[in-house]
Parts: sequence; structure tokens; C-alpha cells
Amino acid sequence: MASSATLRREARRLGSLTSSWTVQTLTRPCQSPLPSPWLQQTEEVPSFGVRAISTQIVRNRMKSIKSIQKITKAMKMVASSKLRAIQTKAENSRGLWQPFTALLGDVPGIDVKKNVFVTVTSDKGLCGGINSTSVKISKALFKMASSPEKEARYVVLGEKGKALLQRDSKKHISLSITETQKNPLNFTQVSMIVDEILKNVEYDAIRVCFNKFQSIVSFMPTMSTVLSPEVVEKESEMGGKLGELDSYEIEGAETKGEVLQNLTEFHFVCALFNACLENACSEQGARMSAMDSSSRNAGEMLDKLTLSYNRSRQASITTELIEIISGASALQAKA
Amino acid sequence: MNLNLHVVTPNRVVWDSEVQEIILATNNGQMGVLPNHTALVTALDIGVMKIRLNAQWSTMALMGGFAMIDNNEITLLVNNVERGIDIDLQEARESFRLAATDRARAEGKRQAIEADVALKRARTRLEAADALLFR
Repeated sequence: MASSATLRREARRLGSLTSSWTVQTLTRPCQSPLPSPWLQQTEEVPSFGVRAISTQIVRNRMKSIKSIQKITKAMKMVASSKLRAIQTKAENSRGLWQPFTALLGDVPGIDVKKNVFVTVTSDKGLCGGINSTSVKISKALFKMASSPEKEARYVVLGEKGKALLQRDSKKHISLSITETQKNPLNFTQVSMIVDEILKNVEYDAIRVCFNKFQSIVSFMPTMSTVLSPEVVEKESEMGGKLGELDSYEIEGAETKGEVLQNLTEFHFVCALFNACLENACSEQGARMSAMDSSSRNAGEMLDKLTLSYNRSRQASITTELIEIISGASALQAKA
Repeated sequence: MNLNLHVVTPNRVVWDSEVQEIILATNNGQMGVLPNHTALVTALDIGVMKIRLNAQWSTMALMGGFAMIDNNEITLLVNNVERGIDIDLQEARESFRLAATDRARAEGKRQAIEADVALKRARTRLEAADALLFR
């Protein structure tokens, strides 16, 4: 009787410091079995105070964040090794596409009736903002190129681009090609893709939109233009932007038109090959920096959680001590 | 006066230096290029290209592409290239024989065309490897 009264007095004095269920346990009559609150820390919503958060919850969160950090660190290393491999290939492929630009010229300002936009994107996500910039630029150029007399279509390479463009431009997509990066990119694969595109799409000019790899942290959205053979012939004869082409003798087949057709198709393959490689480099670079910042964020969260874990651990130890001491002093007072 | 020759494939630059004369195999036959040639763009057939450097001829097997000649700068863009000295003669002979038998056995237009191309490639490699054989 007296003991319970003393316990209640003690509890009321400590009421402001301890959590609500400890108070309840202290004020419960002695007959009922006291659950040992300090043995099981079950997760329940605390009534007040940071110090009352259960250590178990915090420990679980810390474990999951630590594993996320490990995963993102590993992904960063994988991306950086893949980047090294692709970078040399991309630089070598630049030498193939430059002579074409010197000969046929890269004239983005050319005005034609039928434009086809080839958007090069990645298949996998977690690579920062490069896919959305590619798609944004293609959409803007598409708007500029669509008008009553002109028409424009899309050809999409890559899952991410397909998902982004399907939402609002579904009827303008002529062809979409995905899973190009299952095997390492090579020229034969790209020539088959170009074959598919040429079979299905009519065009006067093809604009390839991709992210050019300038350095590990900077990717420039770029557009390279490939003209169809008819346009090339017309422009070179008119002496316009491709006037220099006429100064070359063209041999190699029955007619000049046939050679020009082969030439422009080859130009398209080289340009697309270069674009795919550069985009792959940008993808790996963007993934590296995205994973790097996410492991850094995970580290910061881990620090914050460690602090709160320590605080809640200390708080629970303090409450245990208080209960023990108050119980002991109550017994002593009785004795 | 020398020619600046660049041979480029999708994967790498194969040759990038000066030569005195080259002989290309185009769709219309063989063609020689000397310094101060006219500006020219031509399609290349699957065939052997001979290069003269310091009075010595060397060969390269080209697997089709384009050639651009301008102001003593020659750029060859090809799908694949193998230098004559890099080709193993025995292996080239063997693959030529196999390609010939495949061609004889081919049924249907598509197979015949594919076998033709394979035979051409094998012959080119053999010619490049053994320059004395087809002289």
C-alpha cells in the first residue's frame, strides 16, 4: 500500500522526464505483473521528444541506408570502368565521321520538308538528367519543324526515350528501337539499325539528337544533320551550302545519284555510330556523378541518424537508471 | 610531293602518314592515284589496295567503303581493313577454299549473293597476303 503510494509519488515527480508508458507501469498496482519495459524495446510511436524514439527503428534505418550506400558506391565504380572502355571507342569513331562533315557539311540550318528526329537515349535509368535533356531538345526542334507544309517524325533509340516520348507524342513516333546495349556497341549493329530506319522512314533530312561527351562532368546536347541524297544533289548543284561538293568528280557507280545515295547512307551510319557511342559515354559519366552524390547523401543521412541513435540510446539508459534507482530508494524508504 | 594517306575504320585509324602512290580497287576497276590528282569521291569495292612507300609496295585488304581525294589528302573510309603482312597465308588459303566450296553449294539467290561476298572477301585477303600469286 505504502509502497505503491511512494511509487506513484516518485512517478509523478519523474513524469516530465520519462515516457508515458513507463509512468503507467510505475503507477500500476503491485499485484499485476510488471512487464519489464527495459528488456523489450518494441517499436511504438513515442508521445513526445526526440529522446524517446526507439533505438530499434533507428538501427534498422541505419542498416538499410548503409547497404544503399554500398550499392551506390559499387555502381559508381562499375560506371567508371565502363566509361573508360567506351571512351576510347568513342574517340576513335570521331575520326570516321569528321571527313563526312568536311565533305558534305553539317548544315543544321537547312530547310527541308520532311524531318526525321532520331533521339538517342539510354535503356537503363539512374543516370542523371541526360535522357530528359535529349528528349526536351528533340521536342523543341520537333515543334520548330512542324508546320502546315512540313512534317516531322521521331525515331527513338532506347527505353527511356521511348517512355518519355510516348506520353505525349505517341502518334509521331515512326520507329522505336530498344535494348541496343545488351552487347557492346559495334558498327555492324548500327548499320542494321540504319537499314531498318531507311526501310521504314522517308526523309529529306535526319537530325540525330544525343549528348556529346566533353568531360566526365559536362555533357553537351548536340544535333547532327544528315541529308538525303536528293537534297545533297540539289544543294550542290545550286551552289548553296554544299557547293564545294560539285568541285569533286564523283566516280564509282553508274550514276552520280547512286554514289551519293551510298555516300549519304554511309554518312548516316557513321554519324549514328558516333552518336550512340558518345551518348553511352555521357550515360556512364552521368551515372557516375549521380551515384557519387547519392552515396554522399547516404553518408550524411547516416551521420544524422547515428546522432539520434546515440541520443535515444542514452535516453533509454537514463530512464532505466531512474526506474531502478527510484524503485530501490522506494524500497529503502519503506525499510 | 607526297600524298597524305588516312585509312579510317569505325574502330580506329589504321594508317596516317605519307606515301608516294596508291592503287585502289573501285567499282569501275583499278585506279592509280599520283600526287596532284583531281578532287574525287569514289566508292571502293572489296579489294586489295597497294601502297608505294620509298620504292616498296605493300598491300592492304579493304572491305568496301569510300575514298575522298582532295589536294593530295586521301581519306579512305572503310568497313574493315587488314594489312597484307598481318594476314596469315595458310589461313587465308584455307578460308578461300572454304568460301569457294560454300559458293558452289549455295542454293537460292540470297545464299548465292552472301556466298559471293564471302568469296570476294576471302580472295581479297589471299591476294593481299600473297602479292606474287595474282600478279
